[in-house]
Amino acid sequence: MLILRTLQVGPAHGHQIAKHIQRSTDDVLQIEHGSLYPALHRLEQKGWLASKWESGDGGREFKYYRLTAPGKKQLVVEESKWKQLVRAIAKVAARAES
Amino acid sequence: MGIWTRIKTFGPWSRAQKESDLEHEISNHLDLEAEESGHYGARRAFGNATLVKEDVRAAWGWTRLEQLARDVRYGLRQVRRNPGFSAVAIATLALGIGLNTAMFSAVDAVLIRPLPYADAERLVMIWDDLSKSGDVSKQFSTPAEWYEWRRHNTVFSDIAATQPGEATISGEGEPEQVPARKVTGNLWSVLGVQPMLGRVFTEEEDNKGTPVAMISQGLWQRRFGGSTRVIGRTITLNDSPYEVIGVMPRDFYFMPARDIDIWMPASFPPWMRTNFTWHDAHIVARLKPGVTLEQARESMAELSMQVTAKDFRGPHSVVVTPLRDELAGKTQAALIVLLCASAAVLMIACVNLANLLMSRAAGRRRETAVRAALGASRGRLVTQFLAESLVLSALGAVTGLVLAVPAMRFLETMVPETMAIVRLTLDWRVLLFSAAIAIAATLTFGLAPALGWSQFAMQKGLRDGGRGSAGVRSYWLQHSLIVGETALAVALLTCGGLLLQTFHHLQQLDLGIRSEHLLTFETPLFRYKDFERRVAFVNAELERVRAIPGVINAGAISRIPLTVTDQATFYLLEGQSRDGVSEQVALTRVVSRDYFATVGGRLREGRFFDASDRMSESPVAVINESFANRNFAGRSPLGHRLKFGRLNDKGYWYTIVGVVKEIRDRGVAEDAKPTIYRLHEQADQTNDQPSGIVVRTMVEPASIVPTVRQAIWSIDKNQPIARVRTIKEIVDRQLSTPSQSTALLAAFALFALLLASIGLYGVLSYAVTQRTNEIGVRMALGATSRDILLSFSGRGLMLTLAGLAIGSVLAVIATRLMTTLFYGFQPDHVPAVAAVSLVLLAVAAMACFVPARRASRIDPLTALRHE
Repeated sequence: MLILRTLQVGPAHGHQIAKHIQRSTDDVLQIEHGSLYPALHRLEQKGWLASKWESGDGGREFKYYRLTAPGKKQLVVEESKWKQLVRAIAKVAARAES
Repeated sequence: MGIWTRIKTFGPWSRAQKESDLEHEISNHLDLEAEESGHYGARRAFGNATLVKEDVRAAWGWTRLEQLARDVRYGLRQVRRNPGFSAVAIATLALGIGLNTAMFSAVDAVLIRPLPYADAERLVMIWDDLSKSGDVSKQFSTPAEWYEWRRHNTVFSDIAATQPGEATISGEGEPEQVPARKVTGNLWSVLGVQPMLGRVFTEEEDNKGTPVAMISQGLWQRRFGGSTRVIGRTITLNDSPYEVIGVMPRDFYFMPARDIDIWMPASFPPWMRTNFTWHDAHIVARLKPGVTLEQARESMAELSMQVTAKDFRGPHSVVVTPLRDELAGKTQAALIVLLCASAAVLMIACVNLANLLMSRAAGRRRETAVRAALGASRGRLVTQFLAESLVLSALGAVTGLVLAVPAMRFLETMVPETMAIVRLTLDWRVLLFSAAIAIAATLTFGLAPALGWSQFAMQKGLRDGGRGSAGVRSYWLQHSLIVGETALAVALLTCGGLLLQTFHHLQQLDLGIRSEHLLTFETPLFRYKDFERRVAFVNAELERVRAIPGVINAGAISRIPLTVTDQATFYLLEGQSRDGVSEQVALTRVVSRDYFATVGGRLREGRFFDASDRMSESPVAVINESFANRNFAGRSPLGHRLKFGRLNDKGYWYTIVGVVKEIRDRGVAEDAKPTIYRLHEQADQTNDQPSGIVVRTMVEPASIVPTVRQAIWSIDKNQPIARVRTIKEIVDRQLSTPSQSTALLAAFALFALLLASIGLYGVLSYAVTQRTNEIGVRMALGATSRDILLSFSGRGLMLTLAGLAIGSVLAVIATRLMTTLFYGFQPDHVPAVAAVSLVLLAVAAMACFVPARRASRIDPLTALRHE
């Protein structure tokens, strides 16, 4: 979901996605950058992402990932799922505190 | 994943591409990260790169197609690993597929491909059924009938008629005689055809007899240089001016021959419209929408009885046949029989391969078991095995296509004369067909072993590894396959044998003439309308031809012998009442004095024409044996008199002076009919003209053709000379379909026999190998090697006998279907079946003996230790 969310802003290559996730979570999620790639390829296989080789900064070719239409739909689904989960956890957590 | 990405991600090439992309992607990432946190920092942040790659690859997964590609590659490896087996398998399949491909291309061209007419399946032909009055059951119709039918029928949207015609083009260039046809003005709309250039003639022009002509594309190119200015030009046909109004397209042809060059209006004269005995018209009709062939038959039979109610021969019915059947003619049956035969050969090939593969599968039990143990599902195993078979049949199919091309060249000559010249090619339909049969073959020979193979794995593969005696059940399938293929081979051999017998019979037929060194050609005599001048010209040309060195004799006749042209007439014998005459039909021929001597006819009694026979009021006739047998059974016809023609009181009485042994005037494979020969010099009361010339030569007939032309042109430089052929060529042409189909079927049959014996051998030797252990045990328990030998040969023999029995039944059914194929095909099963049985048993005995002997030679000690 994080990846899909990141790509909602616009196409990005692997390193950018990793950096973005790292920054936007205030370095809380210290995932290994490498584990991003299997996830990206899985999402691509499912058709939620599309990729294209384009030249980026410094004239180097980067593989840019982009959200597809089914990907966008999936993001909505995931987000609502996530919100449900958060609400549920929050409820349990609130009960535990009181 | 969309279909496009599926295609993009298919195959090993894209796999390599993906790998390098991944490599590139990760190194990019590391480089960027290294700019921020240094080389090692980047590595640390990234984690284990190799592991990541592994995970990514896992994410890609294997698509089904990639799996198939892998299986195919595996299959190719298997093919390479067993070159001997693969070569046999591919060769067998190649022959099977190649044969079928070639046969199909011929069947497609003759029987399936659309005819060059609009909605051709609705076109039929109508023939007179004259069987009641002693004539043939399928005779040409009469223009008078056409006229009546067209007015009164209810089942056809229209009916057209065509009549034979010859046309001599003269004027510019050498005089040339070309095949022509006189057709009614509605032929074009009935067939639904358009000219390539110009227009077709109308019914009005036909009725009025306007001299217009349509020409073929071939003639247009050949004689008029393909110029569009030919339209409107006046040409001289049979000494009369005709205006060319249209050119027909290249692919247009119509009964009775593909090479008609000129179509002109039939313009039936009034007398033809009322004469119901003038049988020379081809009738083609288009069924009304919704009317079936059956309905048309019934309706037309009724109508015909009405129309011919007043015919002095009595009313007759008609035969209505689909146009396609008429065009394909006898070739249809031949092609279907051959296609079935080639399919049978392919079946045998597949069965053999199935057996071979099954035997091999048993040998690979362990491999399968290991695969299964490592997690291959049954479905995967079957797919993998089938992929192997697919590789074999694909290779077989490709090799087969190479073989098919020469076979197609051979088959082209079988296309009947009534159809367009066809160049058989590997077009997409044929290729599609080969691909389909290759896949069908794969399933036939691959599926059973594949299922059996995977079963081994599921059951006991690892445990048992081939030890112990194999159960009876495991042989059940193989045995029935052997019986099946033996039966097919027997059926093919029997049919082939019977055909050979028939063909041999055909070749031995007594033609009634000596066929070697006999040249024939035609010199149309339309320019000699005057009887005296005609006789003078014919005698002069024969004289000149005889003078050519190398020529023994020359004669003239109204119809070249063996060329299937009936010119029948009624006759009356002296003392007969006129009422019986409707039953009596005979062929008539007008000949020159030297005709019989030239062709080598043999006399039964009396004499041939000689110098004493001059133009007179009491002419003479020579009759053939059928005529004598029919009218003078048991007594001599010599001295009797007969009369023929219009049956009125005029006309000469002809005195019979000789009986000639049958000459097959109607064709090699046609029964002789009662025939009357008259001398042309005495035949001033007939329209028959002795335009056919036969020349007996000492030298090769072809070598004197130019001299003959010069000799005739020296009398009349405008005399056309047409259809130069030797009798040998005529005979060969008529026997070509039977000879080719016989040769093909015989080849198929021998091939089938070979395959069946290989199959028998394979199964038995496999059984011996499989049961080495068991044999060892038996021998240890006291069985002699003779027992073992008998047991194995006995089994082989049983299989063969079972195949023989089933095959004989198949053969009887097949030959019954084949009786339509050839003249003189009278299945005399006994010798053929006996011969086939002997051959098969001998071959089977060989095939059994070798493995059985091997079994009996087994040393029990080694056998028991044998694994």
